[in-house]
Amino acid sequence: MSAKSPQGPDNTTRNLVIGMVAFVVAIGAIFSVVSNRENTSAALPSSVSKADGYGIVFNGDLTGVPVIDIWEDFQCPVCARFEQTNGDYLEKIIEEKKAKVVFHTLSFLGPESVLAANAAACASDENKFLGFHKSFYQNLPAENSGVITVDYLTGLGEGVGITSEKFKSCVANLDYQGWVNNVAASGSQQNVNSTPTVFVNGKEIRRATSATELGDYFDPAAFIRAVEGK
Amino acid sequence: MKKAQPWIGLLARLGLGGILLYAGYLKAFTPEKSMMAVRAYELLPIWLANFFGLVLPWLEIGAGILLIIGVGIRYAAIFGSALMIAFIIAIAQAWARGLSIDCGCFGDGGAIDPSETKYLETILRDIGFALLGFYLIRYPVTRFALEKTKNKTSTPIQGE
Repeated sequence: MSAKSPQGPDNTTRNLVIGMVAFVVAIGAIFSVVSNRENTSAALPSSVSKADGYGIVFNGDLTGVPVIDIWEDFQCPVCARFEQTNGDYLEKIIEEKKAKVVFHTLSFLGPESVLAANAAACASDENKFLGFHKSFYQNLPAENSGVITVDYLTGLGEGVGITSEKFKSCVANLDYQGWVNNVAASGSQQNVNSTPTVFVNGKEIRRATSATELGDYFDPAAFIRAVEGK
Repeated sequence: MKKAQPWIGLLARLGLGGILLYAGYLKAFTPEKSMMAVRAYELLPIWLANFFGLVLPWLEIGAGILLIIGVGIRYAAIFGSALMIAFIIAIAQAWARGLSIDCGCFGDGGAIDPSETKYLETILRDIGFALLGFYLIRYPVTRFALEKTKNKTSTPIQGE
């Protein structure tokens, strides 16, 4: 740093200001790094497996079946489109035990995504994740418009038959906020750079390349082929 | 020209500092997007890309503040120009490799539709900001800088 500048008092001011700015930068950077790390003591919803990137797992006990990893953000309209295209098929293969399906609910689109992902985990504890998931996307509000609130989410839960007080307090108290953060950290480690991102047996399915070339994501027949390996 | 130089320097400071502060602020509080944006360049190991995604916005904020208030101008300008050059290289390689990503400069980022890419505009913009930085490295004496200097000539004086 400067040792030879001639102006004494100004040098003090200068160094003081540089020091303060450096302090703010360091605190901010440290806060960002620490708060985005995995928290191994976070409460986990039922059916969550750390080994599966903290995703909500269906048919985790099956072997020899396709493994489908779905990375999504509840506020992402394209994720809603994916759910509308393939949601019924996914529910069917989960029910018929033909695939292991893991839902990873990211939250990079904002605080309302965190609220929604937390509520979905609360619904998972009531064995209503799929119903909640579908109902949420059917009524997807505009991004960060303030619509997604505790009341909105408990109302959605009631709509799919979740009436317990435990669910309400879980949603209101963000019981699984630490877990939401862990899912995000896991997505960062696994290089998920957009939503939806879907892997079948660890390999990403074909992306849409144009409005008519829908890839495996938005063509139901192509998605089934991708899953069933035909 | 001699008289205009400190005023041009002021504009350069506000331009480069303003964009750094603004871009840093937009990203610092959306860390997941910011990490995603750096990863999407497919240039760095994932852990390092994530680290940059978290730390870079704060460094931008710091350099932006220094430029705006006018302290340590030359250092902040060197940092800002180097950053712009790094961005230009990163964007150019993404373009050349046919990736479809947003530059992630202002808090968006990640993979996007190929029709939405804006590589050329982004590179031209960053060249402009790099030039502002070069100007400040060459002429760090500017109007309304908190850091006072006695030397009124346009030669650089506070660099070491």
